[in-house]
Amino acid sequence: MRINRDVIVAIALLIICALFINASFRIKEATFGQMSSALWPRIILAPLTILSFVYLVRSLLQSEPVREKRGGLSGWIGYYKNPIVCFFLFFIFLITMPYFGMLIGGILFVFAMLTYLGGYRPRDIVVHGTIAVAAVGIMWSIFTFGLGVILPSGEIIPYL
Amino acid sequence: MIIENIINASVELFTISTVILMAVGVVAGLIAGAIPGFTFAMAVVLVLPFTFSMTPVAGLATMMGVYVGGLSGGLMSGILTGIPGTPSSVATTFDGFPMARNGQPGLALGLGVWSSFFGGILSAIVLVLVAPQIALIGLEFQPWDFFSLVIFALTVTASLAADNLLKGLISGLLGLLVATIGTDVIFGLPRLNFGSEALVQGFQFLPVLIGLFAFSQLLNDVRDPEMARSKISDGDAQSIKIEHRKAAIAVLKSWVNLLRSTIIGIFVGILPAAGSSISNILAYDQAKKSSKTPEKFGTGFSDGIIAPESANNATAGGTLITMMALGIPGDIVTAIMLGALLIHDVVPSPSFIADQPVIAYSIFISFFVATFMMLGLQSITLKGFVRITRLKMYILASIILFYTAVGVFALNNIEFDMWTLFLFGVFGFVLKALGFPIVPVILGVVLGSIAEKNLSQAFAITTDLAPFITRPWSLFFLTLGAVSIFFPAYQKSRGKEKWTLAFIPVFVMALSPSVFMMDGVIRPYVVAPFLLVLGGFMLWRRISGGWVLDQDDTGALVDAPDPSQLDE
Repeated sequence: MRINRDVIVAIALLIICALFINASFRIKEATFGQMSSALWPRIILAPLTILSFVYLVRSLLQSEPVREKRGGLSGWIGYYKNPIVCFFLFFIFLITMPYFGMLIGGILFVFAMLTYLGGYRPRDIVVHGTIAVAAVGIMWSIFTFGLGVILPSGEIIPYL
Repeated sequence: MIIENIINASVELFTISTVILMAVGVVAGLIAGAIPGFTFAMAVVLVLPFTFSMTPVAGLATMMGVYVGGLSGGLMSGILTGIPGTPSSVATTFDGFPMARNGQPGLALGLGVWSSFFGGILSAIVLVLVAPQIALIGLEFQPWDFFSLVIFALTVTASLAADNLLKGLISGLLGLLVATIGTDVIFGLPRLNFGSEALVQGFQFLPVLIGLFAFSQLLNDVRDPEMARSKISDGDAQSIKIEHRKAAIAVLKSWVNLLRSTIIGIFVGILPAAGSSISNILAYDQAKKSSKTPEKFGTGFSDGIIAPESANNATAGGTLITMMALGIPGDIVTAIMLGALLIHDVVPSPSFIADQPVIAYSIFISFFVATFMMLGLQSITLKGFVRITRLKMYILASIILFYTAVGVFALNNIEFDMWTLFLFGVFGFVLKALGFPIVPVILGVVLGSIAEKNLSQAFAITTDLAPFITRPWSLFFLTLGAVSIFFPAYQKSRGKEKWTLAFIPVFVMALSPSVFMMDGVIRPYVVAPFLLVLGGFMLWRRISGGWVLDQDDTGALVDAPDPSQLDE
């Protein structure tokens, strides 16, 4: 028996199940009706817990451990570097939304994404800046003026 | 009545703005379907925010345009570059690309376009004729039956994960669990929100869907730095002219193949969760097996293009039948359409066609019209496709990623929805990286509330569990669900282990008790005995044949990728 990726995933699933089962006991009971609000989540959690346990046992009994093609955690992070950075940039975009708003924040986000993924040469930066301003500006205009959606504005430049 | 409904729907549908929107949708679908790594389902997802401000008819017609266009768009890149634009066109490349390389790209494209057209039209006819009839059957359904139908839909989706049935089932259950977070759909009580005020409202379905599907897919597309920076495709198709006349004649000459593939497509579409990524490969496989010249397949043979392309467009009609008649989405696209209908306060159910005839018939008509539009617009989009494919993937991904945020916000004007998008983008990406299929999660999220509502209604009538097996339709779906769980093992062992010889006969016979319990005369006294006799006959033939495995019957499809890997 060896600890491999599947074992960790199965344990994580079991922890999630435990948390949800625990939370299901804190759901208020309705004073009317036949089916309690907690029943349906528990109906889901019961097979999910059993299957996660089967997954754990199967992963532990695997005769050949799954080979980490990408060389452990650092290899995994290296392999998924682009998506991880993109997720981080999107997170920053969302968290700074109250300050920058959708338009400015969007331009900065798209520019950062383009420059990270496409390269930092001066020519690239100019192209990426132009694309970011044009694409976000057009989309913002369509939604604001065309569809009448009031997109979030920021503290830096109100109304934008 | 039907004529009246068609006229009323046509009045709503054939306005200048709606027709233009449909045409734009078809073009967008054709181009999106043609871009490898950018499936048409993603295009439908991205179009959704725009349809929010439209009338239900205009919005659904636009989405239908994207759907039909996207199903056909994949053939362009598949034939011209050898890389299928969508999983629906995987089998098209087997003969389309060799034919294009043999100097007949115009004919190959023409065969694809005309097969898509005929497949789409035939399936639209079946949709119009069959959906109202299935809806009548659906009126027989009671809460137990709907609940069992949802269970069947989830097990069949999980079973499509083939070797990963366990992961497929876990994915489906995770989707159901996500749908329980927030507020109880029956009593409106908060539950599983872990003390968070933001979670009391639960996760909105569409941000979850866009996050799980589009967001995570886009980041997958830019994972490889080299691929992200390279052009989407180097194909040069500007000088190619589609040979319409020659292709149309060739398709009509191969009418048996066309008809068979269309039927396969419709049937696969009707099955919950089985989409065009499977039908195109099945149709190709059957066309090859039935051909007098199977050796020609893979060398640029016209039948090898006609089969998958007619099947994948026909699947659209099948999936719409299930969604419109039963309110159960057949694939991701119909799940999105279900979401779009819910946005407009329209709830698909067996009485949907009768209660909302204008919307229902406008879906029928727009499917027809979009198929004709696809035929006309394919040549134009060929040039657009070439231009788009000169773009680099990272540029497209960055812009669309921002667009998903704006689109999700526009749905409800709630910033939390963008966080939902982000959370489920991460969740979807991690699940994919760990080998869990995404489609069962999405269907779980969509079907969760439907299942809970029906279970609650069932318990309100009686707390006895017996109706789940004593009601014919419920037993029918539970039997199908049980079979679908064992199906991956059957497929894996077919032709290798002797127990597989009994699988299909036993499956056929197992359906007969539930059919026997149904109302009427035909089903209990004709269909049920027929199923029993058929299963018995198949079993007898295998026993009398010495219970010997057929060496050719390995169950392997043509040199095609595993359909379970094709995440549509």
